[in-house]
Amino acid sequence: MMCRSAEQPDPQDTGGDATDVLFAALLEDSADELYESAPCGYLSALMDGTIAKINSTLLGWLSLDREAVVGRMRFTDLLTVGGKLYHETHFAPLLRMQGEISGIALDIKQSAGGRMPVLVSAAVKYGSTGQPLLTRTTVFDARDRRAYEEELLRRRDAAEEARKQAEADRARLQEALAVLQQSLLPDTLPPIPGVETAAHYHTASPDRLGGDFYDVFPLDGKRFAFFLGDVCGKGPQAAAVTSLTRYTLRAAALHDPDPVSALSTLNTVLHERYADSGDPRYCTAVFGTLGPDPTTGHVAVQLASGGHPPVLVLRADGTADFLPTPGGLLVGVVPGARFTTATTVLTPGDTLLLYTDGLTEARTGDDQSDRYGDEALRGFAVRHAGRPPDAVVQALTGLLHGFGDGLDDDTALLAIGVPATGPAPCDPATPD
Amino acid sequence: MMSPLKTTVRETAAGPVLEVTGELDYTSAPELRELTATITLRPGLRLVLDLGGMEFCDSSGITALLAARSHAHAAGADIALAAVPAHTLRVLRMVGLDEVFTIHPDRESVIGS
Amino acid sequence: MDVVRRNNVTVVGNPEGPAVVLAHGFGCDQNMWRLTVPALVEDYRVVLFDYVGSGRAEPSAFSEKRYSSLSGYARDVVEVCEALDLRDAAFVGHSVSAMIGVVALGMAPERIGALVMVAPSPRYVDDDGYRGGFSADDIDELLASLESNYLGWSAAMAPMIMGNPDRPELDQELKNSFCATDPDMARVFARTTFLSDSRDDLKSVAVPTLVLECTQDVIAPREVGAFVHRTVPGSTLVTLDATGHCPHLSAPEATNAAITDFLAGLR
Repeated sequence: MMCRSAEQPDPQDTGGDATDVLFAALLEDSADELYESAPCGYLSALMDGTIAKINSTLLGWLSLDREAVVGRMRFTDLLTVGGKLYHETHFAPLLRMQGEISGIALDIKQSAGGRMPVLVSAAVKYGSTGQPLLTRTTVFDARDRRAYEEELLRRRDAAEEARKQAEADRARLQEALAVLQQSLLPDTLPPIPGVETAAHYHTASPDRLGGDFYDVFPLDGKRFAFFLGDVCGKGPQAAAVTSLTRYTLRAAALHDPDPVSALSTLNTVLHERYADSGDPRYCTAVFGTLGPDPTTGHVAVQLASGGHPPVLVLRADGTADFLPTPGGLLVGVVPGARFTTATTVLTPGDTLLLYTDGLTEARTGDDQSDRYGDEALRGFAVRHAGRPPDAVVQALTGLLHGFGDGLDDDTALLAIGVPATGPAPCDPATPD
Repeated sequence: MMSPLKTTVRETAAGPVLEVTGELDYTSAPELRELTATITLRPGLRLVLDLGGMEFCDSSGITALLAARSHAHAAGADIALAAVPAHTLRVLRMVGLDEVFTIHPDRESVIGS
Repeated sequence: MDVVRRNNVTVVGNPEGPAVVLAHGFGCDQNMWRLTVPALVEDYRVVLFDYVGSGRAEPSAFSEKRYSSLSGYARDVVEVCEALDLRDAAFVGHSVSAMIGVVALGMAPERIGALVMVAPSPRYVDDDGYRGGFSADDIDELLASLESNYLGWSAAMAPMIMGNPDRPELDQELKNSFCATDPDMARVFARTTFLSDSRDDLKSVAVPTLVLECTQDVIAPREVGAFVHRTVPGSTLVTLDATGHCPHLSAPEATNAAITDFLAGLR
């Protein structure tokens, strides 16, 4: 390509002459001159690396005299130590095998102790019988380019570091949340002679600590206590209330197992802790005791409710009904709150079902505008009445899965039953 | 589908009336709590929460209503719920708050038309 | 995983002949032996492979933990020998592979019957009374050099790693590709290689050993060759009139002659 940008005079007047002069000037640009002053470094070396020829441009970059280099130095002598290692382990073997190599990033040493980033390409010249004679190498100034690449690499490293940090943070947070969540619920339910229990906890979001809780624990060797409830709200604040609630109810019950007494203690604790905090916190809860009678196999249930949906009793005969506890107040709202009690007796094949309103408030219908509701739950319970607790909880877990996105709240389930003595009832023909 | 929460406040001689429409749940309850905290009350006034347009209220919503109650009582003022929808009334009864709140079945009887 | 596939194992030559395992060093892969193989195929069963993290070995088999010590690479050697059921094989290791061979010999003495150490160095970094030729800073600079050649690598190597059967023309465009290695894995190999110290292991080598050194080798200077010869009991030292660290490429005839003479002496 010819360069015309230097053409100063008006081409209309003197165009022919000027072009000729310019062209003549280009012809006078000898090959030697081009070699010496090219905008890149040239170097030829014998196969043992000894430099046989080098151009002025490269000497200028190295600040070395030709006499000090030609016949005295090898190409690797021009490189930094790291560059030497790279040359010996990558560059030289590749050049031998391929006969050429291109675009390798190396640093050359400058006399003042500095270094200059360069891009190096090389090709082997072969003799007529194919034997390698010498190596021709071109060296390009890569200072700007390398600075740019280093910036890219630096940013990539920084981004990678930030990503790793974020991942570690997230993992640590998830772990902390999981540990906290586990502290709110029992690992396993204790064995109770003559009684079967089953529980399930559905977390609406793994990132969001739940506010539902349940527990079963022994009282005095004969009796056992159970509770299930729902702290208003979610997240860490709700979890703190859940924790306080769980351990308050456990401690209160050991002191006085009467259900109303346990809920009243909890009411006092929550009210005193939160009423004046500017961030009032409440919960609904069912608390009860189980009194198994080893002679009859019956289990007497005494329970009290503070604002919690009524528990369901699934009977061996295939019926299911709510055990109403109307008028019991949300726990923690006012001092001296009133709680409503109820009693029942579980005989073989009966199951008591406690749940939180995540179940009954699940969105249903094509546009998710309806709620599952109490009556639908009772109907479901009828279809599973007579089955043991784990089967009932398993069926309800399937129901919860079926809600899909419609289940947007945490849901706790706790079933307590007396094993049937006779043959197990048949499974319903069309399980839900 | 879910309808967003909307709130409007208007002043009457007897006190402010806060009209709540839409769904009051975990995501929207903080909005109502922040709003009620900014309402100025004094002894003798009554804050009325007009729930006629409220389509849903869960436990977080109940907490927001109780926060409004605490806010009113702290100022020495009274609080009442008006036009409570049947669903919410059932929830309020279940958690025993029908005995904690003054509840009026319609808005006319408590705030006039 | 199938070791033969994992290490890209190639077996050529005389199936009835004694086995010779050719192990590449840091910076390249089994292609390094292209001028050596022809000298061996007539008489020997020649086994070539790539270490995991190099050449066309299975990249998914790489584990930074395993390959952060020479014993990780030595396990590759032992597993290749086991996969082919080699016994008393002659192990020819270039550069760091010479030391990997020593470690593998310690792990499975029944597999390796002789060692050829091509330009070996048991320690590259200078130490009290020992001159390896490099300082710790030099090694850091090498790691930086690997990093600066990253961009060139990714453009050349990505299609090969990912497999691109729809665009076979990419294979032809690849330059500098013989020794292309994933830069992250190469960095691990470089660190493991240049920070290793296997001087003590040399004393326990109890098989016939040939040490090949070059007259002009920046990476393994002649003092190091002399040290290895002195320390490995009964070893033979041959100094090749060759420049650089890869005599099997720069002086193949002399290198092959030294290796075949040694191997012939074992029979």
